[in-house]
Amino acid sequence: MTKGLRNKMKLEQLKEILQAKVLCCGDHLDREIEMVCGSDLMSDVLAFIKADSLLLTGLTNPQVVRTAEMAEITAVCFVRGKQPHAETIKLAEARKMPLLTTGLSMFESCGRLYREGLHSCDETK
Amino acid sequence: MKPNESKPSSGADPSENSGAFAGPDSTRYTKIQELVYELKVSDAMMRNIITTTPDTSMSELREILRANRISGTPVMEGGKMVGVISIEDFIMWLGSGKADCPIKEKMTTEVDTMYANEPLVHAIGKLDKTGYGRLPVIDRQSGKLIGIITKGDIIERLLHKLEIEYHEEEIHRYRASHIFEDIIGDKVALTFQSSVKGKDFSRAGEASSGLKKTLERLGIHPQIVRRAAIASYEAEINVVIYTDGGTITASVQPDKIRIDVNDTGPGISDVDKAMQPGYSTASEWVREMGFGAGMGLVNIKKCADKMELVSTVDKGTHLRIYIDINNTQEHSKAG
Amino acid sequence: MKIVKLSRIIEQLNLDIRNAQDQVHREVKRGYTSDLLSDVLANGEEGDVWITLQIHPNIVAIAGMKGLSGIVLINGRQPQEETIARAREENIPIMVSEMTAFEFSGRLYAMLSGTKNDEGI
Repeated sequence: MTKGLRNKMKLEQLKEILQAKVLCCGDHLDREIEMVCGSDLMSDVLAFIKADSLLLTGLTNPQVVRTAEMAEITAVCFVRGKQPHAETIKLAEARKMPLLTTGLSMFESCGRLYREGLHSCDETK
Repeated sequence: MKPNESKPSSGADPSENSGAFAGPDSTRYTKIQELVYELKVSDAMMRNIITTTPDTSMSELREILRANRISGTPVMEGGKMVGVISIEDFIMWLGSGKADCPIKEKMTTEVDTMYANEPLVHAIGKLDKTGYGRLPVIDRQSGKLIGIITKGDIIERLLHKLEIEYHEEEIHRYRASHIFEDIIGDKVALTFQSSVKGKDFSRAGEASSGLKKTLERLGIHPQIVRRAAIASYEAEINVVIYTDGGTITASVQPDKIRIDVNDTGPGISDVDKAMQPGYSTASEWVREMGFGAGMGLVNIKKCADKMELVSTVDKGTHLRIYIDINNTQEHSKAG
Repeated sequence: MKIVKLSRIIEQLNLDIRNAQDQVHREVKRGYTSDLLSDVLANGEEGDVWITLQIHPNIVAIAGMKGLSGIVLINGRQPQEETIARAREENIPIMVSEMTAFEFSGRLYAMLSGTKNDEGI
């Protein structure tokens, strides 16, 4: 658990760490995550590069999926046990973007994933 | 004789390949793996089957194999397959110097078969394990013999399929990269326009999502596509949040993409202030949707190579964004 | 989870404190990361440090109402003048971090759960 440790993990493993439930695209859990972005502001999400990344958010409206699509985010996990709108799931399915939901808070989710060596989505430049 | 196998390692799990950083060879490899799972035995088998009967003589067999240029046939009796006779069996008989005899004395009676709807990878596995050169193919419903499959058929089918896909990709790439060369004119631009409905948050982003797909199809560099899509998306959100609607017009030129976002009001009273990070006049409901944090215009500016914003209160706002198609340097991938 | 003084967090996670410097003895029990005001209003607890990108004055009102120990603005976001003015009145420390929400939350989490040498001393 040294600082600067860089790790990757499959969504499958990430799901276990966050005790998360899969909402859609469960057949894509072999995708790898290297970076995490925790945000409820979509403009903030768009300001970062998102290769192999997970978005943690408390927002559940369809714009989350659209934003993730624009920023080329791999998967989204909703925090605090939030259930997204049906429209959100529909959009994600069409884009083959796995959606998860965890009962943990944003803080706790970040804490656990940071401990596993995942790192931040760094700013573009 | 062993045909030269391209052996796509039937046992390997295709998911083991970590896609993102795989080199060109491994993506090719993955493509073959994909195909052997995707294609069915019936896609590669020979349907035109030459058969023999148990009473055909070995000397007749020689003529049948030679005339049809095949290396073996199923042996049929009363519509049922009772064995397989191959060129190996023929050579063995020839080598033994024995007198002519009916096929039934030399044929293999314990025959491994494949079902037509099994994936190709099963056939590869079975051919590999048993060492047989061919496998009769049975229709699962009727139980009837409908074809025969050899290693050669499988390789031929795979190569053919790969070639088709490669060819399609080439055409696609050609279209994209030469689109402007093929059009004659002093000034050429491809223009796409979408209308954006004001206050309809559930559909916000549709226009930009469409623009992103279009630009991808045109074969524009992914970084450029991403920047254009993000800029357009932020602008679209602004139109949805603050106005009664407007239009997004993207014009793709040989060297740049120009995106015009126009609306008819209410306009921005202080453009300089609006450009400051964090400045926002958004109402609480917008903020709770995850927008209106005063970063939209800042993000647009960051994505654009040039940006012009003209706004008149009560009249409307015109935002023009230029993205240089060849400028892939400065927004290089982080991490 | 354990309790850590705000001054330790400021020092170890390199925070730039903008006001209420006399409040650094406050105790922090938990982090709460959110950019949704309604969420913090509903789920924030006394002794939380609120980690957010939001910079407008309403964040101070919410922090005061819920008895939060302080607010950390991440990604180097600068508070609006009015926000600082309100924070002075309400005695709520506002701090700025250059880290992202993920990294800051991750490191504060490690401090509070004592799993990392960030714990210090």
